[in-house]
Amino acid sequence: MNDPGRNSTLWLLATLILAMSPQAISMPPLVLVTVLFPLFWRIGSELRNWKPLPALVRHGATAVALVTLFLSYGDLSGRRAAVSLLTVMLALKLMECYRIRDARLVICFSLFLCATQFLFNQGIVMPFYAGATVILALVTLTQLHRAEAWAEAWRHEGEPPAVKASLFAELSFSFRLLALAIPVSLAFFVLFPRLANPLWGIPDTTLDSKSGLSDSMSPGSIQNLFMDDSPAFRVKFSGPVPPAEQLYWRGPVFWRYDGQTWKGGFYGRNIDAADLPEPGNSAWDYSVQLEPNERKWLFALDYPASIPSDSRLTLDYQLIRRQPVIQLIQYGIVSNPDFIDTPELSAPLRFQALDLPENRNPRARDLVERWRQQFPGDAELVQRVLGHFNREPFYYSLEAPLLGTHAVDEFLFDTRTGFCEHYASTFAVMMRMAGIPARIVTGYQGGWHSERGDYLLVRQSDAHAWAEVWLQGRGWTRVDPTAAVAPLRVQQGSLGALDSPRHLLDYPWLRGLRNSADLIQQRWNDWVIEYGAGRQARLFSSFGLDYMSPVMLVSVLFLAIAVFSAIVFPVVLRIKGPGQKDPIQHAWQKFLKQLAKAGFTGLPSDGAIELAEAAALVLPSDSAAINNIARLYTRSRYAAVPPPFADLKQAVRDFRPKKNGG
Amino acid sequence: MTQTSTIAGEESGFGERFDSWVLERVRRRRGPTELPRTLEYRHIYIMPTRFGYWFGALLALTALGGLNFNNNMTLMLAFLLAAIAQLTTLLAYRNLAGIRIDAIRAGPIFAGEPACFRVFLKNPEERGRFAIQAVSPEGQDCTDIAAQHSGQLKILQTSGQRGWMQLGPFRIENRYPLGLFRAWTVVIPTAKCLVYPKPAPNPPALPKTGRGDSGTARLGEGEHFHGLREFQTGDPLRRIAWRTSARHQKLYSRVMESPREDACELNWYLMGQGDTEEKLSILAAWVLRAERRQIPYSLELPGGALPAGLGEDHRDACLEILALHK
Repeated sequence: MNDPGRNSTLWLLATLILAMSPQAISMPPLVLVTVLFPLFWRIGSELRNWKPLPALVRHGATAVALVTLFLSYGDLSGRRAAVSLLTVMLALKLMECYRIRDARLVICFSLFLCATQFLFNQGIVMPFYAGATVILALVTLTQLHRAEAWAEAWRHEGEPPAVKASLFAELSFSFRLLALAIPVSLAFFVLFPRLANPLWGIPDTTLDSKSGLSDSMSPGSIQNLFMDDSPAFRVKFSGPVPPAEQLYWRGPVFWRYDGQTWKGGFYGRNIDAADLPEPGNSAWDYSVQLEPNERKWLFALDYPASIPSDSRLTLDYQLIRRQPVIQLIQYGIVSNPDFIDTPELSAPLRFQALDLPENRNPRARDLVERWRQQFPGDAELVQRVLGHFNREPFYYSLEAPLLGTHAVDEFLFDTRTGFCEHYASTFAVMMRMAGIPARIVTGYQGGWHSERGDYLLVRQSDAHAWAEVWLQGRGWTRVDPTAAVAPLRVQQGSLGALDSPRHLLDYPWLRGLRNSADLIQQRWNDWVIEYGAGRQARLFSSFGLDYMSPVMLVSVLFLAIAVFSAIVFPVVLRIKGPGQKDPIQHAWQKFLKQLAKAGFTGLPSDGAIELAEAAALVLPSDSAAINNIARLYTRSRYAAVPPPFADLKQAVRDFRPKKNGG
Repeated sequence: MTQTSTIAGEESGFGERFDSWVLERVRRRRGPTELPRTLEYRHIYIMPTRFGYWFGALLALTALGGLNFNNNMTLMLAFLLAAIAQLTTLLAYRNLAGIRIDAIRAGPIFAGEPACFRVFLKNPEERGRFAIQAVSPEGQDCTDIAAQHSGQLKILQTSGQRGWMQLGPFRIENRYPLGLFRAWTVVIPTAKCLVYPKPAPNPPALPKTGRGDSGTARLGEGEHFHGLREFQTGDPLRRIAWRTSARHQKLYSRVMESPREDACELNWYLMGQGDTEEKLSILAAWVLRAERRQIPYSLELPGGALPAGLGEDHRDACLEILALHK
């Protein structure tokens, strides 16, 4: 009783597998194993008729899975961890999912699981994933409905069982249902009142899938990002796009150095309103669409002259948002490149910007002291160090050897191969040795300009690190030592500066294709992901409606639903449902159509044989074929041992009657 | 006559109360359903199933989360599923509308047995109907009806009392296509089923008070000699008339007959005093036994009498008199 049956269980498994696939990819391998075990067991049990597992095994598997989950994530309050928990529970449920009610529960939560995936990714592929999941879920629900209706029925003896539907019919029925629901759901989407402010916030502890630049810099940290081609943000300039050498997107700034790693700065101290740069004549006006990275920093060109809402500007001109960026956000900003940052450096800041760990890098210290004596001016010394990087055989490469205690010494004299963080770090340390205040800035450099979309795409692989030195009269000045080693890095972007591809699929044409495809994603972000209370209000103001109260919105929504329904409902009423057509009848109808084309139409009351006789009189040249088809049809229908259907199908397909009298 | 105020189903609580409210309303407004009836929009009700309510709750939760985090794709998914659910109400309605209930019939039964009412449905339209169910207090039945075909649903109803049993109200419903909504119509049928008295389990022996003239002799088995006939394959050896056969160079077998049995007279007035129902139930058992033994029987009771006879028609006529005895 109430058994969902093998067919719907297999559909159920397909739905669940599809729904959990994005989550499964990002799971720790051990957790994935605990998900796959019940899944594979259930598939096997359906195909091989295995018996249900004893309770001891089920409870044991549940305990093992939960312990694994806890050990892998440490804390289950994170979003990834919570969704993994849901996935694991759904997979475990399969071991005891033998009733229609349980199957429906799994389907509902598979759909919910699908919805949770949008927390992590709202990319252009996600609608296809969601659509496919919904279609499979609809097929499963249809099957479960049939199983339920027939399970409790007194079966009539000798009566035909439920109408069997083909795979294609099931899928196409669900697909049509989905397609017809789209207009009404779009009306909902556009008109449903949105919340300008969330009802409840998201605690920081739930964030466990941070990406992008981190809050420290050590050798290799940016190199890792270099492999990642996912977009970091997109920028739309209201004027012309600045030249590539100016596109330094400022991110976290680091002041403290422990010999390996650069860390923190002045997050806590905001800039005084009076110190905010004036948007001068040469200001750039642009808006940034930042992909979610679960971090708080916003990126801007030097130096931001305006502060986006919900964020603040620190002493070292970092933009910091009050809430982590957990979904795509957009902010407009104005930057003034000519601004002088900190004309007078206070003593505590100077001390901080000169601090170095003791007893490290003696060789570099000697070298810097020698140069210091040669070049008493700070600016000349900077040029001397940059010239050293430029003239000596330094390499810009992904294959940077590991560095030990005297990292700067080893890099400067031995390995001489590194990535931007090696150069920036080495340079800043040498500056501090020479008594010039220096700090590290991380962020992104450059970007790919889409001509068609007129926007700049900055990928994670554009991550970069550079240094800033404080010079008397010029304030903090940006110095990019990487540019001295590999000028192409700055002019052509990070990928142009490398000789070898990063991985197997790294070809210029593929990168070009990916860049162009990003336009679709950008539009998607613009129109769909970014749609909110503000965009909704703007939409209505473009119709001359300045303010729509929620009540008005809902009224318009109902109006729209009524209009759409008037269009959609007549179509729905024509849906025939996932029943299979009678193939024999179908072939016969095709045959009748051919006859009609040739000029013969039979009486509806005629049987097959009578019809064939009448047709043969009208079309004598085809009488043999006509009689053959009629005979096959009659025998398919009534003979105790009917001929194979393929015969009739073939005969009808080959039937090409000559036109009557023609 | 059993007339429950609700038609049981899976739903309980609110669903049940709503169902009984609908039933009362239909009973008051429209009275018994006249057949044949083509189901139209005004006969069809739609409510979410329990699964439908849960599904809706989950959707609301998803939508709330999407709104709060301003996550448009989550919102869109919730809206899409809601719109699909809305469309299924239409499909459920459409799956039921246009079906014609032609007739409801049931053959007679004995008290205590379930009567099987057959509801004859016709689908006059060019599309199939899926999983149409009949739900009554004693269970449900389900059928698919292909385009322009007819179908049948069975409704079982048990009665302990003899006489005419009226079929109680039942629903014809479907949850097509996803099981989220249930579209149904209430049928208050006028169909009746004749309930014979329950045959007494251990009735006294058949009365032998009949007149013999209407009895027939049965050939074949028996102790009395009836005549001779040519031997046929299959005749027992002991029946062969050896002497006669020896005389005629041919084998002959004897044909025997059982004695002419008197028709039995099943007479109410000869049964003495006793409970009416008990007497009827004994009479019913006698009718069955006499029919089984092929003994002609006559029936007489206050308000009706039948001359002696045999055969199913005779039996049914007798049982009907017993069933309808006042």
